[in-house]
Amino acid sequence: MKQFDIAVLGGGPGGYVAAIRAAKEGQSVVLIEADELGGTCLNRGCIPSKTLLKQAEVVNDIKKFEKWGVKTNGLQFSLEQMMGRKDQVIHQLRRGISSLLNANKIEVYRGFGTIQQDCSIDINLGDDQKKIHADRIIIATGSRPLIPNIPGLDQCNVYTSDTIFDINEIPNSLMIIGGGVIGVEFACIFASLNVKVTIVETEDRIISSEDDEASAELRKSLERQGIEILTDHEVISLSDSDIEFKAIIKDSDGNKKKLIAEKVLLAVGRVPNTKGLENLNLEMKGPFIKVNHKMETSQLNVYAVGDVIGGLQLAHVASAEGIIAAMNAGGEQVERDDYFRVVPRCIYTFPQVASVGYTESEAENLGYHVKKVKFPLQANGKALAMGEDEGFIKVISEEQYGEVLGVVIVGTQATEIISEASSYIFLEGTVEELSKMIHPHPSLSEGFFESANALMGNSIHM
Amino acid sequence: MANEVFMPKLGASMESGTILQWFKEEGESISEGEMLFEVMTDKVNIEIEADSTGVLLKKLYEVNDEVPVNQVIAYIGQKTEDVEGLMKESLEDERDKTPNDNKEDHNLMPFKEREKIRATPAARKQARDYQIELNEIVGTGPRGRIQLDDVKEFVNKLEPDVKVTPLATKIAKAEQINLDEIKGSGVQGKIMSEDVRPQRSRVGEERREERIQMKGIRKVISQRMIESAFTAPHATITTEVDMSAIKEMRQELLPRIEEQIGERISYTEIIMKAVGLMLKKHRIINSSLQDDYIILHPNVNIGLAVAAPDGLVVPVIKECDQRGLTELTEVTKGVTRLARENKLNLDQMSGSTFTISNLGMYAIDAFSPIINQPESAILGVGRILEKPVGVAGTIVLRPMMALSLSFDHRIIDGAPAAAFLTELKETLEKPIVMLA
Repeated sequence: MKQFDIAVLGGGPGGYVAAIRAAKEGQSVVLIEADELGGTCLNRGCIPSKTLLKQAEVVNDIKKFEKWGVKTNGLQFSLEQMMGRKDQVIHQLRRGISSLLNANKIEVYRGFGTIQQDCSIDINLGDDQKKIHADRIIIATGSRPLIPNIPGLDQCNVYTSDTIFDINEIPNSLMIIGGGVIGVEFACIFASLNVKVTIVETEDRIISSEDDEASAELRKSLERQGIEILTDHEVISLSDSDIEFKAIIKDSDGNKKKLIAEKVLLAVGRVPNTKGLENLNLEMKGPFIKVNHKMETSQLNVYAVGDVIGGLQLAHVASAEGIIAAMNAGGEQVERDDYFRVVPRCIYTFPQVASVGYTESEAENLGYHVKKVKFPLQANGKALAMGEDEGFIKVISEEQYGEVLGVVIVGTQATEIISEASSYIFLEGTVEELSKMIHPHPSLSEGFFESANALMGNSIHM
Repeated sequence: MANEVFMPKLGASMESGTILQWFKEEGESISEGEMLFEVMTDKVNIEIEADSTGVLLKKLYEVNDEVPVNQVIAYIGQKTEDVEGLMKESLEDERDKTPNDNKEDHNLMPFKEREKIRATPAARKQARDYQIELNEIVGTGPRGRIQLDDVKEFVNKLEPDVKVTPLATKIAKAEQINLDEIKGSGVQGKIMSEDVRPQRSRVGEERREERIQMKGIRKVISQRMIESAFTAPHATITTEVDMSAIKEMRQELLPRIEEQIGERISYTEIIMKAVGLMLKKHRIINSSLQDDYIILHPNVNIGLAVAAPDGLVVPVIKECDQRGLTELTEVTKGVTRLARENKLNLDQMSGSTFTISNLGMYAIDAFSPIINQPESAILGVGRILEKPVGVAGTIVLRPMMALSLSFDHRIIDGAPAAAFLTELKETLEKPIVMLA
């Protein structure tokens, strides 16, 4: 039986990053992945969706350029080529991970690993069985789409975020069940391809975990793109006639109606992958594995990171947790808090939504005296020049010291410019410094500068 | 012509005031009636309005400076006006007015400070901003004059060479934490906000403690309580009063007085009246200690402890012994209302010779109040509660009320205090004697 210092279960952004970090700490590392390297993020999540979203953005831009006097003489698109480019991006990144693992002398097994009580791992390699042992284990098995309990759903061939990327024909209409981050991003992709998209969401607003003003702003934009949004609506049954899907939906008052769509995408959340871990008898927190601030589970020498422990299910969170687990497994003493004071949350819709820090209500609940300013991008020269003046930059600060508590951006490139806000929070800059720091003109980030000045009572352009 | 802004005399007893804050900066325009500065006296803090319109040309005093009343503290005028000439004039005026005072003050200063320290105006201002004594700085200018750079260099040496985030800097300053003593938890020992905010180690897991700065009225209360509790040896005696007669009397007076002045007489005013009459008789209770003399006050001015939004205030009802119950009710209700709205002026809070603290609206029987200096005694009034008492061999229920008298044992002995309280009790139980 082969012996390692550290075994990492799962090759997504939590697992492969943990493996590389552990190897850099001088440990002998094995990584076990049941599917493809890169996990959900690279194969069925962030990367393919962003590739398609870029393509959707180009399509939207071309439609817009018509009005600006740039004519293309008819817009055509090939889904096949689009998917081909997406696969190319995935392959290139996968190769990158593979060579990084190789360069760090990490042994990779492509098979399903089952952990035994003695911390040995049985790996099912299909035609072969392999047994290895490691002193410490990092679990990074991720999550998969949640299949909700909707009558009739089990008889229907619906898409999830795992399977939608294999779609080979553009449908006329698409019903998206779930108006969270995944749902709204796919809505934008398909709406750009002239698909009639309907989002059905049980909450009273889309992206309900985010700032409510951001949610309202995004809804307005999505509706302008022709996306129908039914909030406070629940799908109570679903049927599939091979040509189209029929859903019965019910609003909060109990009124029912019928909704027809050619295809259905389920995007109602994700559940952790805990198969193969049963023998460890880990303490759980709901469906997720319970960990402490050092990413340690209830079992000595077993760590867990990423979607399988719940919290913010984001790739960059998983990677940061992976690093903490790897360092602790390598003998250091690192706590999650040293890294997690700031976690940006990004939604790549049109316009994008990015936020970091506390939301207004979170800050208030924590007892802060909140002072906030919302800068509309309509007052920003760069946004107007780009023809992307939807959205705002909102800075939430603490009154006494001007601490930047949170920032919410709705607008083009929000996911890039949010990092300035993150830096301010992480390095503990205050509104005062932000109001003095010279920002380039014209740029979207001037909105920060302007907001900070407004908070200081010195705004020029507001 | 620029207008002078004076330190106002807010009450007969006010000799000086401390500037708590300026609401305007030099160069800012201000209109008549806008708040200009906040001043603290030994009793209250009050915001003062500008009495002319123009630009705040010059502030002659900084925050925390104590300034005698009627002294010029600022100038308001037109932007182009030169205030230097005016300043000279008023300085000369002052010198003319109070030559002796100045000399006296000078003599009180330590020898070292009496020597004239040569420093440029900019250096003086900087030193003042950093609260550094000029005599600590070595001047490098001509004839040892202290220049701005000398102050800056001195400050640089004072400020520890530590890495600290902007937010942590601000918190440390507000919390008056010496950064030199803090171990930074950030990269390369950088001091982070959490290091200077230890009570909030993990946001969300623990509720933060709240910090309320001791300032304004709270600070005044604190100082006066300390002064009283640690200089006057307090003794407290209590007795119980049968309030049946007063209760009856109040019921009869209530509609009559209400009809006249629209106010409802409360027990407080009746007690105040009785106390007033008793103080007239027991003059030692209505006294103050000044140096080696006990001053027996000719007037009976009763302070009434009122819970105002920012803290305890004591409006004064003058000459209680001479006012009828209707007038007493009207005056008392009036000042109490002003107190609750933070609108009392200094005169309405000055000159009391005895204080009453009534906690009867709470479930409080007796307590030991702290004397309101420089008075010599204070009466604590408890709630009225029906209690079984023995009357002529049988047990009956009577509305009973406890009175607690704290007195300054330096001035008043137990016996006179007891005599006062006993007679007060008897008066309240037989209020008809008040007419005698």
